[in-house]
Formats: sequence, C-alpha cells, structure tokens
Amino acid sequence: MTPDPGPAEHGSAPSAHRAAVPLTKEPDPSGRDVPGRDLTAGERDSGHRAHRPWSARRVPAALVASVILVAAVAALVDVVAVRAGRPASAWRRHLADELATRPVDDVWMLTGAAVAAAVGVWLLVLALTPGLRHWLPLRSPAGCPRLRASLDRDGAADLLRDAAMRVPGVGAARVRVRRHRIKARADVRFRDPRQVRDDLTAVLDEECDRLALARPPRIVVRLRRRTD
Amino acid sequence: MTQRSVRNRSLLALAGLVLLGGGVLILFAGLDLYRRLDLVPPAGWPLTHPADVLLGSADRARWSSQGWWWWPAVIAALAVAALLALWWLLAQLSRRRPGSLPVGGTPPQEGVELRDRALGDAIATEAGALPGVDDATVRITGRPAHHRTRVGLTLTPEGAPGATLGALCEGPLRTARRSTGLPDMPTEVRLHVARHKPHRAE
Repeated sequence: MTPDPGPAEHGSAPSAHRAAVPLTKEPDPSGRDVPGRDLTAGERDSGHRAHRPWSARRVPAALVASVILVAAVAALVDVVAVRAGRPASAWRRHLADELATRPVDDVWMLTGAAVAAAVGVWLLVLALTPGLRHWLPLRSPAGCPRLRASLDRDGAADLLRDAAMRVPGVGAARVRVRRHRIKARADVRFRDPRQVRDDLTAVLDEECDRLALARPPRIVVRLRRRTD
Repeated sequence: MTQRSVRNRSLLALAGLVLLGGGVLILFAGLDLYRRLDLVPPAGWPLTHPADVLLGSADRARWSSQGWWWWPAVIAALAVAALLALWWLLAQLSRRRPGSLPVGGTPPQEGVELRDRALGDAIATEAGALPGVDDATVRITGRPAHHRTRVGLTLTPEGAPGATLGALCEGPLRTARRSTGLPDMPTEVRLHVARHKPHRAE
C-alpha cells in the first residue's frame, strides 16, 4: 500500500492526528510486529491503532432512563392526585410508613443500601470503561487514517482454527481468543509433536499478521497426543 | 467518542454517584461506622446514628409547613425529571441520519445533493464485491457536516482481515471520496467472519 497522494484536504487530517500521537503512543508489544512499527515510524495513524472504539452505552442508558421515567411519573401522578383532594395511593403510604419506621440498622435497609451502592459502582464502571470487549481493534490501513476497524473475537478464533487445521499432523483444533491471549489446543495424530508445535506456532503467528490486530495477543499452544 | 456516548456516560456516572453516595451514607449510619472509626460527621449531617430513620416525622412536618409554594415546586421538579428521562430514553432509540449530503467539494455545488442511503448502498455494493467479502452493509450516520460511515463486513472463511481493510480503503472508500468530493470522513468498520464448521482447507 502506498500513501495516498490524494486530494488536498488530506493534508489537514494527518497533521491533526499528529498532535495527539505522543499522548497515546505505546511501546511496541513485541518484536515481530513489523508492520505496526512501520506505521509508527510513518506516524500516519498510530494515534488510532491501539484504541478500542468506545461503546455509546445505549442499553444501560435506556434502562436507567426508563427507571427514572417510571418513578418520576408515578410520583407525579400521585402528588397531583393528592393535591386534587384524593387520598394517597397505597404504595406511597406503605413506602412512607416503612421509611419512617425502619431504622437504618434494619436488615432490609442495610440490604437495600448495599444493593444501591453496588449498582452505583456498576454504573460508574460502565461510564468509565470503553466496553465493546468482544471486538479486537485492528490497525488502520496506511491510506485511510480516519478508518477504525475491529474484528469480532469469535471470527478471529474461527480464522485461527482454520489455520491450525492446515498444519500437517493436527487432527482437531480449538482456539479461544481473549483480549490479550490466544489459546490454541490441538490434537496431534501423527508426526513428531515438537515439529508440529513449531509449525503450529509459525502458522498461528502468520495468521495473526493477516488479521492485522492492533495489539497482537500472546499465543499459547497446547498439544495433546491422540493416536487412536 | 460521539456526542451521544459522552452524554450517556456522563448521565450514567451521575446516576452511579447518586446511588453510591446514598447507599454508603445509609451503610455508614446503619453499621455505626462513624463511632467505630472515630469519625465526627459535620453538623447537620443526615443519618449519623443506627437508630435514625430515613424519613423522620420532624422532616415530614418541616416539609409540609413550607408554605403554599412547596407542593407546586415538588410537582414542577417531578415533571422536569420525567421530561428529562423521556428525552434521554428517546435519544437512545433514534439514530441520527444526515438525510442528504452536499456534493461537489467546497463550496458545494448549488442544489446538488446525494441521499445518504444511496451513498451507503453504493459503497456496500462495491465492498461486497471485494475478494474474501461475503456481505457488506453500510450506513451513513451523524449530521450532514459531520457524517460518519459505519461499515459492517462479513468475511468468508478464506478472508484475510488486514488485506480486506486495505482493499476497502483503496477501493470503495476512495471511490466514494473521489466521486462525492466530500472530505475524508471518519469510518468505523466491524468485521465478522461467516460461521462455519472446522474443515481442512486444500
């Protein structure tokens, strides 16, 4: 891929990114990540390549908004009804009684408080972490500095498993892709297991390069002998 | 991060802080941690003793005797809270689309516009024909001036993500940029791999 000679507006975008580069640049995780190193040297899109996209957190936001909406509308309806001269509804009298009679060392109050604190911590975690843990960020191609790509972890596992099955001597293979580690388990049917391990490691390394992962995970290979 | 992400995360953090603060306040009083840890809460601090209740009769009497403005104020506050929650909920359901995009570089040619769907379909058609790509869906989101492209690609089992990304950048995306004269737009690509059984290639 050659750098895009392209239209004039290209000149402005990379320079804007260049300002952000020193903040986000990371030491190269391993020596074999040669393409990534080239990109860093070219400093075209290295600001993007280590970043996971951030989730918009739509589902938790919708849930919290619904809870607030329901509570506010229920309270509003009841307060207006009482102002209009009708008696307060049962749930409100019950709630007020409970809150007025149970001291704070009551087990229900303590349980409720602990649950509220736990939910609060969870919401804070949701607000401050990127999310999208199921997606592996990929390196942007040299010509498109504003392109961000990510690969499904299950898809990456399927591709790596197919690559492992191509190694002579491997009868069955299972690959689990986690965010920082890839674990490959293979059954060896024939050939010297040491040779199979070397071949398998080489093939998985090569396939990992084809995946163009922004942070190549560590690859762990486990072999099992199967001669039946 | 998009504007919606920033807004959602700020409000979630606010809700989390309120819940956490309330819970910790009750736990501190309920487990009598102030006395055990020799902490002295400041004057006027709510809930300092295990026998305290959340809604004391003194509180209720004080609220009820605030005067004529108290209940209208409560009703207004509840109505504002309900409306804000409704707005926040609806903001999750809608997806902003630019509608039509000006074509022809800067300044845009008078009256020449391109529907976002047409641009998305054109990119999807060209991307779907790339080698190793099974299926492509493209959506253009955001405002006309700050639109973003979201590409979803499903690769065949023989596909190579790195090479496909390069081809996508050199092919459909560059074509779209050149033919519309639009500036380089932020693009988000999500790659899937078509599910398949393990098989021996070759």
